[in-house]
Amino acid sequence: MNNFKLLASIMIPLVLLCSGCTKKRDLSIKELQISVPQKVKGMDPIFANDRYSSNEIARVYEGLLEYHYLKRPYTLVPNLASEMPKVSADGLTYTFKIMPGVFFHDDVAFSNGKGRELVAEDFVYSIKRLADPKLQSTGWWILDGKVKGLNDWREANSGKETVDYSQEVEGVKAVDKYTLQFKLSREFPQFLYSLAMPFTFVVAKEVVEHYGKEFLNHPVGTGAFVLNKFDQSNKITYTKNPNFRDKFYPSNATEDFKSQGYLADAGKKLPLVDKVVVNVIIENQPRWLNFQKGNLDYIGIPKDNFDSAVTPSNGISDELQKKGIELLITPSLDVTYTAFNHDNVLFQNVYLRRAMSLAYNVEKSNELFYNNTAMPAQSIVPPGIAGHMDSYKNPFVGPNLDEAKKLLAKAGYRDGKGLPEITYDCPNSTVSRQTGEFFRKRMAEIGIKIRVIQNPWPELQKKITNRTVMMYGIAWGADYPDAENFLQLLYGPNKAPGANGSGYNNDEFNKLFALSSRMQDSPERTALYEKLNRMAAESVPIIYGVHRQTYLLKHGWVKNFVNTDFESGIEKYMNIDLELKKKALEKL
Amino acid sequence: MVPILLGTCFIIFVLFNMVAGDPTQLLLGKHATAKQMLELKRELGLDRPFFAQYLDIVKSAFTFDFGRSWSTKQEIIEMIKIGAMPSLTVSIPAFILSTIVSIAVSLIVSFFRGGKLDRIMVFACVAMMSISSLAYILFAQKFLAYELGLFEISGYEPGFPYFIPYILLPVLIWVVLNLGPDVRFYRTIILDEIYQDYVRTARAKGLSEKMILFKHVLKNAMIPIITYVVIQIPFLILGALLIESFFGIPGLGGITLNAINSSDFPVIRAMTVLSAVAYIIFSVITDVLYTLVDPRVRLK
Repeated sequence: MNNFKLLASIMIPLVLLCSGCTKKRDLSIKELQISVPQKVKGMDPIFANDRYSSNEIARVYEGLLEYHYLKRPYTLVPNLASEMPKVSADGLTYTFKIMPGVFFHDDVAFSNGKGRELVAEDFVYSIKRLADPKLQSTGWWILDGKVKGLNDWREANSGKETVDYSQEVEGVKAVDKYTLQFKLSREFPQFLYSLAMPFTFVVAKEVVEHYGKEFLNHPVGTGAFVLNKFDQSNKITYTKNPNFRDKFYPSNATEDFKSQGYLADAGKKLPLVDKVVVNVIIENQPRWLNFQKGNLDYIGIPKDNFDSAVTPSNGISDELQKKGIELLITPSLDVTYTAFNHDNVLFQNVYLRRAMSLAYNVEKSNELFYNNTAMPAQSIVPPGIAGHMDSYKNPFVGPNLDEAKKLLAKAGYRDGKGLPEITYDCPNSTVSRQTGEFFRKRMAEIGIKIRVIQNPWPELQKKITNRTVMMYGIAWGADYPDAENFLQLLYGPNKAPGANGSGYNNDEFNKLFALSSRMQDSPERTALYEKLNRMAAESVPIIYGVHRQTYLLKHGWVKNFVNTDFESGIEKYMNIDLELKKKALEKL
Repeated sequence: MVPILLGTCFIIFVLFNMVAGDPTQLLLGKHATAKQMLELKRELGLDRPFFAQYLDIVKSAFTFDFGRSWSTKQEIIEMIKIGAMPSLTVSIPAFILSTIVSIAVSLIVSFFRGGKLDRIMVFACVAMMSISSLAYILFAQKFLAYELGLFEISGYEPGFPYFIPYILLPVLIWVVLNLGPDVRFYRTIILDEIYQDYVRTARAKGLSEKMILFKHVLKNAMIPIITYVVIQIPFLILGALLIESFFGIPGLGGITLNAINSSDFPVIRAMTVLSAVAYIIFSVITDVLYTLVDPRVRLK
């Protein structure tokens, strides 16, 4: 008994101490709590080449254009530009009017610590930074060879100790305080998408110079939120920009958004929340548990929790529904595929490629690796953008073992005889290994021997660049919503280390692609995209996998949440119903 | 110390400059071009002669100026300073507690050696060691933090006392995880001493078992205990990878893992050099401590 008392006297205070130690929530302000699954790099727009960094950058910085929050297909609208640009008849000159009265956040880098007004010259400086050879931006590709004189400027400053920003570039000029002009060296209709990407978001020269190499930790933009605390491996906190210009929640939307009540906050001044807290949570379990406790407002469903969250009919489970949690399913602009190395003579045999494609069971792979949530890809362009053909069925997408065997025989390798062992390279994650094994088994069904090789990601990239792979599994996500961004994966001159890792090089395809890439958006261009997409399907330059879908869960108190492929800066549109949150938290 | 450091630097250099792949494509992303990769190589100094690159590593080992991360562009020494504190706030209390608890338990089971308690403890230690550390973490996080709400699920607030709620569960798990191997190790050492002649003599002189155990046996068992304890200290700075990752502790474990995944050579180099330096320093400290606990040992 005495022992029991002793134990109780130790344990009870300990438990009380622990209980008292858990943090209490502040429900007096609208605080958006979100999570990211990896550490966030610095916050310099010119290095925004991963999703997580670019999202953080876009809370603080802004660009000339943005995607309309409530319109699909994705539509560009002015952001810091006061209107859409005037494009010259030859499609080479783009003239923008900059919105007057936009101010940078207050910061010590400015005189008196007050943010100064944004002017056209700031964009000229920001574009030059993107091209600066000393900085080696990860976003240089979006303007490489496209803006008149910019490559020459980069070349002229390459290898120099200091880069000369005062040297004029013909292709990017501030005509006056509020007028910015771009001159392109060739027609590039996707240019406007570049101006909605975080790489081209505007920075102030004095801030860059004030912080020097530490600039990436001191973001000062014109955006809706001001960085309050930046701990890139733990927590990033933003507060509402008190001087944010008069920007309002959209008053128009496409029908599906309207019908779902997304216009309830129409016309309200942005941002709608007071604070955004980004929590770095690497592992799935803590992210899942924190969401269920109400510590996070929305999350992507971890693979291991998928079955407990989503019913076979794509609905939300009863348990989560009772907690007021909602499910959002959105198609992603992406494609997964298995690439052939076209430098290898073996894969120049179209019958072999077709046979392998038909032997691959994409439906089963969808079931095994994506919980049947993805859409089997018929070609390279995903649904949701011009060039995708909804009703098109690729005759060489498997499974069709009988036809695969016939084609294999036609290729000269009846039952796989005479074919060497083919290597399949993949990253060294568990899922990649399982995908590789699945591929091996499917090919074995028609007599093709596959050896799966796992590689660290840099090693796989090196092998692709050096052309030492035979086949490899990979995925591509859209940089912008245009078929060109997918079709270029098969454009010969883009061969690795460019985006065309397979090295597919078809003269006819190259010619048509080059033609389409100069055309403005039009029915003719869409027809050409479709033709290219069909060619990409039928010559089987790669084995198509799936177009994935994103499954997200959010608490009912989060309003106006839209899942998008281009999520930069979306938090300013989101809202929180505090009353609903208080009630819901009692149940969690 | 200097030859060991030079050797370490050489191994790091060979591993990363001659064996590992070209990091430029990974750093530039999916749109990298051959030209840009070459330019980046030049900017990073990877086109310089091997000897100059080796000298850079040696220099950084002595000056601790590791430059900037290739991947995040952050100052590496700052990353280490920022990451070391969260790692230490978990690892130091956990290490001290687990050492004290393990030694105490070992002394108790040694006191009751051969008895029921001893057998149960040995069995429990083996059982505890057989379970994966991940199982402890997942279980504790789900039931103690999520279901019972006794602890924070994950997260970290810098500064005292704000970090305390966040380290309680990681520390508890660390102690439990170490209990099995530590108790087995300390018990073996203590039992080894217990059967020595001087213990028999002490018993013959009429000293109590408690006195023998705590005053004589423990003191004589200190050399292997010190070796075991002190040599673990350098690794405390590096943090516990799994615990940090699951509990969202922004420590050095995560920094290292991130660097490996992104081929961030300067960060991996810095962490390797730091571990080597810390290991050497604490090896020397161990030798010095031997002389304190056993006057027969002399440093030459």
